[in-house]
Amino acid sequence: MGLLTDPNGGQGKLTKLLLNYHGKLCKLSYLIGVIWFCSLAAPQFNSNTYFSENALLPGLVKSTFQQDRLALQYFQELKDETQKYDSSLPYAWLLAKFRQIGLDAYTHNFTLHSPLNPNETFYGKNVYGILRAPRASSTEALVLSVPYRPPSSIHPTTLPSIAIQLAFAKFAVKEKYWAKDIIFLITDHEQLGMQAWLEAYHGVSCGNKDVLNHGDLKGRAGAIQAAINLELHSVRIGYLDIKIEGLNGQLPNLDLFNLAGKICIKEGVFYTFKSKSRAYFRDPYTEWLYYFKNLLAMMTTHATGIPNGNHGLFLRFGIQALTLEGFEQSKEGSRVGLLNIGRVIEGIFRSSNNLLERFHQSFFFYLLPNYDRYISIGLYMPAACMIAAALIIKACAKWFKLQEEDINVAYIKVIVVFVLMHFIGAFVNSLPQIAQLFNYDVSSAIFFGLISVLITSLLVPLVLKDFSFEVMLIFALLELGTTLICLSMNNISLGMFCSVISVPMALIIDITSNKFFNYLQKLLWILIHPFTILFIVVTINSWLLFNQESIGEVLLRAIVATQEAVIYSVADSMIYGNWLYTVVTMVLIPNWLCFWCVTFGRIKSPKNKFD
Amino acid sequence: MSLKKSTKNAEVQEISSKSTTLKALLLVTIAALLRYAIMTSKYQSIIANHVEVSTPLSSWKRVSEGSFLFSKNINPYDGDLLHETPLAIKFYKVMLHYVFRNVHLMFIVFDLGTGMLLYLAVKKYAFEFQQHHKDRKKFPEDVQKYLPSQDFAQKVSIYVLMGFLFNPYSLLGCIGHSTMGIHNFFLSLFIFGMIYGSVVVSSFALAVCATVSFYPVILILPLSIYFVKEYKSNTKAVLAIVNFVTFLVLITIYNSNFGKDFSFVKNVYGCILSVPDLQPNIGLFWYFFTEMFDHFRELFIYSFQINTTILYLVPLSIRFRNTPFVLTVALLFLISIFKSYPCLSDLGFVLSLLPNFVHLFPDCQQGFVVGVILVISSSLAPVLWHLWIYSASANANFYFGVTLAYAIAQIFLVTDILFAQTKWEYSLKHGKDTKIDGEDGVLSLE
Repeated sequence: MGLLTDPNGGQGKLTKLLLNYHGKLCKLSYLIGVIWFCSLAAPQFNSNTYFSENALLPGLVKSTFQQDRLALQYFQELKDETQKYDSSLPYAWLLAKFRQIGLDAYTHNFTLHSPLNPNETFYGKNVYGILRAPRASSTEALVLSVPYRPPSSIHPTTLPSIAIQLAFAKFAVKEKYWAKDIIFLITDHEQLGMQAWLEAYHGVSCGNKDVLNHGDLKGRAGAIQAAINLELHSVRIGYLDIKIEGLNGQLPNLDLFNLAGKICIKEGVFYTFKSKSRAYFRDPYTEWLYYFKNLLAMMTTHATGIPNGNHGLFLRFGIQALTLEGFEQSKEGSRVGLLNIGRVIEGIFRSSNNLLERFHQSFFFYLLPNYDRYISIGLYMPAACMIAAALIIKACAKWFKLQEEDINVAYIKVIVVFVLMHFIGAFVNSLPQIAQLFNYDVSSAIFFGLISVLITSLLVPLVLKDFSFEVMLIFALLELGTTLICLSMNNISLGMFCSVISVPMALIIDITSNKFFNYLQKLLWILIHPFTILFIVVTINSWLLFNQESIGEVLLRAIVATQEAVIYSVADSMIYGNWLYTVVTMVLIPNWLCFWCVTFGRIKSPKNKFD
Repeated sequence: MSLKKSTKNAEVQEISSKSTTLKALLLVTIAALLRYAIMTSKYQSIIANHVEVSTPLSSWKRVSEGSFLFSKNINPYDGDLLHETPLAIKFYKVMLHYVFRNVHLMFIVFDLGTGMLLYLAVKKYAFEFQQHHKDRKKFPEDVQKYLPSQDFAQKVSIYVLMGFLFNPYSLLGCIGHSTMGIHNFFLSLFIFGMIYGSVVVSSFALAVCATVSFYPVILILPLSIYFVKEYKSNTKAVLAIVNFVTFLVLITIYNSNFGKDFSFVKNVYGCILSVPDLQPNIGLFWYFFTEMFDHFRELFIYSFQINTTILYLVPLSIRFRNTPFVLTVALLFLISIFKSYPCLSDLGFVLSLLPNFVHLFPDCQQGFVVGVILVISSSLAPVLWHLWIYSASANANFYFGVTLAYAIAQIFLVTDILFAQTKWEYSLKHGKDTKIDGEDGVLSLE
């Protein structure tokens, strides 16, 4: 109890230490956090992946799939069939095949009322077939899904995956060992069809009301335990890439990822994560750099919170899912045919079939610097907390200083301004809903409304007189620190990127009497406004893509792309329930504004100092 | 001359007291509008479904269900759905159907009532506190600037009112229709009655609280101490105890339908004491008893409950016998930390009483740390809950970690306040200066 009852605990040496060295402590804490996190990519600091769930028994049985010729035949037929349809699924053919194979085959209709333009409506149709398990009573299910892409699609074709899916169905329907139903699902309109099907399967609506009308399913199976999404671009596969990043930064259980990898190795299929495989280096620095680049590649897709495949939508329903994307070009010179791919699918499904409980053993929070190395939450969270702690240390030091100065502070005024800033954020957040009330295409209206509100809000601090900026700074620091910890809990990549960018700037911000420094910190702070960051990222991206164009053209492109990015994130939040837009507008922007207020604080340089 | 001056002083005081009342009314109006605005928005059901707000004991859903079963002549205590007493159900029903006719209105009015009662009670308490320290010559030189100033009562009472009305914890509790908000109304009535020296009101309110949520039963001790110490009346103290017991018996007689049906005892007190419902909440019981081997359960139930009720009661009562109000607040704090089904309203209520100790703040050491832990744990709790229950990716350990931090923050806070109080008492006698023979001395608890 010494900690609590020591009479000199609080205002003693520790406080003095904090007051004297808080600047250095903050920098130290930030640096330790960043270095810690970066060094986690080195294999010395992370660990090998391993199987945690014993029930999976991966690769224990001999694969018996032999229907690769059939798959090729399906592929040819399907290619001819798709020519007859413009943009919709060749559902008559698919239904006929499913029925022929002996599955319960159904179609599923869904409607999307565009969230940005009330007069626009899209229709879609999914097809799915259910293989009823001979050894259980439809209480559990596995999903093998493929996104259908019409010939006119901008994405590479996925027809080979439908072919192998049908061939696998033909194979599986004869086997006696299935204890879980297998749902073969072919979705329309990329992620939209998948979202609609999942919502209909679970009878819920994830996005805003009346945006995605998910329709009804005529046939159902039990609780889905795992899902594999196939995107094969060719019948000859050079390598399989495993994609795991899901909606809002959710990741599938690491066991499923390991399972897919293990089976690939067993069947002799070359597989990668982020298109990178294992590499060996003598030099520890090159080794670290290789892994770190991989880690960054994962983090950039992870941080957006936008799924990079249809698997990402399963995760929010507690279904572990991943995408196997097959590319034709080879990394090692050899290619495999549909036989091996079919056996990979067989292996994964037979292993998942063994599951006694849902996936729960292994990690849900991890980062992968390579396909066989992982960084667990226990390793990366301290780094994230160290960075956030820098803010809290600064807030603490400011607080003690304020206590020492012993001046009366109008806390209420500060709290009112603080809350007001969050109301601005809430208003920005509800702009799409407000814009929807006016019945026309609102996508550009939202964007310009947003920009104008944000620019107007920059003027708020000008009306502040007699304001205790110190207290505001403490509040803002605490809020930012808390937000960063919460963000890192949800989506470490996003949390980390935010921390690394915003913490140094937030540490710089202080109330000074120096005019130059004051302007400098205002400038720096504007640089890390969420929209400025978005714009910078988009500009760099378009400059890399179109580097032969002039600067003016690139900038123009960047502005259009930024507008699109904002509109997409609004649409994503309304259709899928992606919370990126909500978090940015409800927390990050208000917090940014609070700091912005602080930059207007000035210590009045005492006049007549020598009187 | 002196007479004139004193009347002027009184006038000034009257004016300032009037302006405080106006301020209070303004605050109440704003608070009511704020509550109503959020209650009618889509966030109401989200908040109401959170475990931090609605525990098995304070969930309005369960009350409506129980009330419906009662109206169909089905005994709701046959199942393990309802954990409120028959009197409470009857009370809610009458209030809802004959007085307010609107759930939102009912919760808002009770919440505002709590605020007003606390405001009035604290106004009197702080005034007396200030009067007690009026004769400044009695106290050492260096504590003078810490002594309560002229407008102490006005300031503190407004702070308490603000602290209650705009405290996010009580706000969330009220919006989420946590019945703990209504229990808190009676708790504030108890404090009100205690400070105004009304035996009947205080003992009645306490009896209501004790029958509904059991733990406040221990507050009878500070109540009787208060009457003995502040009103110098042993009869009042004895009367309070007698009244309290009588009310308890009367309420129990009503609850048991005049001795016919004691099935509620198992579901109300049984539930509070033996913790059969292990739905997670922000307290410390659920995790511990989910992990517990069954044959140790009884032992730990006893130790946990003794910890909540009588472990601190006797020592604190002895130490703080001269300041029974501090004792009451400390016990309320300990109850809200260690009770079996705590919710946010509990913390909101006790936190709003803190401004009473504004004179102790300079002596507090962990204020900032406690604030930071509370902020972080309160914002992490819903995040981790979501990850655990909805995303199925985190697990119970994450959430328990947060509740542990939350409890630690509160323990730090109450220890800090009590320690500052003992320091305060010491410095009133001996001064702030702790120099012994010219060297810095150290205060230590022995």
